[in-house]
Amino acid sequence: MIYLLILPLLLLLVIVQITILDLLSFGWIGMEISLIVVIYAGFHLDALRGGILSLMLGFFMDCLTSAIFGLYMFLYVLIFFLSMVVADRVYAGRPFLIAFFAGLCTLLEGLVILLLNRFVLGVDVFYTILKIFIPQAVVVGLLSPLIFGLFQRFEGFLHAEVRRPAQRI
Amino acid sequence: MLVPRKYHSLIVAAVLLILSLGFLSYSAVRLSETGFLRKTVLEVAAPIENVVNTSLKGLHDVWKRYLFLVGLEDENRRLRNQNAALGEQLNLYREGHIEGMRLRKLLNLAERLPNRAVAARVVDRSRTSLFKMILIDRGTADGLRVGLPVLSEQGVVGRIIETAWHASQVLLLIDENSNIDALIQRSRAQGILQGAGAAGCNLKYISRVEEVRVGDEILTSGMAGVFPKGLLLGVVTGATRGGENLFQKVDVAPAVDFGKVEEVIVLISDEKVDK
Repeated sequence: MIYLLILPLLLLLVIVQITILDLLSFGWIGMEISLIVVIYAGFHLDALRGGILSLMLGFFMDCLTSAIFGLYMFLYVLIFFLSMVVADRVYAGRPFLIAFFAGLCTLLEGLVILLLNRFVLGVDVFYTILKIFIPQAVVVGLLSPLIFGLFQRFEGFLHAEVRRPAQRI
Repeated sequence: MLVPRKYHSLIVAAVLLILSLGFLSYSAVRLSETGFLRKTVLEVAAPIENVVNTSLKGLHDVWKRYLFLVGLEDENRRLRNQNAALGEQLNLYREGHIEGMRLRKLLNLAERLPNRAVAARVVDRSRTSLFKMILIDRGTADGLRVGLPVLSEQGVVGRIIETAWHASQVLLLIDENSNIDALIQRSRAQGILQGAGAAGCNLKYISRVEEVRVGDEILTSGMAGVFPKGLLLGVVTGATRGGENLFQKVDVAPAVDFGKVEEVIVLISDEKVDK
């Protein structure tokens, strides 16, 4: 039930991402914290809860930033399950691995967007790989270990909140 | 459960991916009306975005204003310094202009006179001394010697009483020891102008029968040969015929304001004529 309360926070995160963080990055590279949330969910949540969280986050992103509805829903769900697969095979506590994987996911996201633009909409925007997606992958990669640490604390706080009533009983 | 537990994740993944792919395919192929959920999200997000953006804009404006004020302060300081420098420069130019005007008058005076003239700058003046004197920056090296008359553009200043190589003392005509042969321009009555200190000068030996008016100009008479004839000494400020004295007492205000004299010319006897 507590995870339902996360939904407004997710919406707020997307709003902060497209306003404050966008301003901080001077409109050049987006600091896509929502993608790091999805990867984190892939590493720490089960398929149903993490999948729905990713779907909702993608939904908010689609509503507020995307011109193609469903793009981020698809991307975030895809990345979430990819993260789950990776989490089953490697130890996810190493910052370097988190950074590397987050960077890869950003590039994957960029690649899907470019392919979609090319083959569905007929728009060729491959030049943005070097200009936008590679720097964005570096930024997301660098930020992800820090944000993972913050999320772990937040998750610990949530678990404590959940456990407390049970202990009282 | 019909489906084994280990396939749960796979099924959830497949369902969610198909669902999202369905949305994506549908919206990529055709433009659809905005759905209820999307409308709700936009409706909720818009005011929040507005508040955040307004706050950010406010912060941005404050920051810009701060930077503007910092810049303004620097500019203000720079302009103040520049203003002070320009004011100083203006004063220099003004001083130069005034000095030029004074020197031009002195030059005109020197050109009118038959004697050769040497211009000198007043470097000191005795304020409290018993004797009323000024120190000029010319001396024997410039041809000056004791007794030579000293003039300013306003009139007679006095005469040299001491000389060094590059400096000379000038006894002002208001000093009690100064006596200059003089005449009243209007009546041509002759007398001797004696200094009276702070009171100015007195014109002595003017017969009580002479009519002396306030405002009459007193000129050098040229009698003793020290001062050329016709130089302005001062103006009559009052005349009294006291008791049974043979002469009347004539008070004269010097033509020169000795407190403001900065440049003078010294007349060197006859040299210009000789040349």
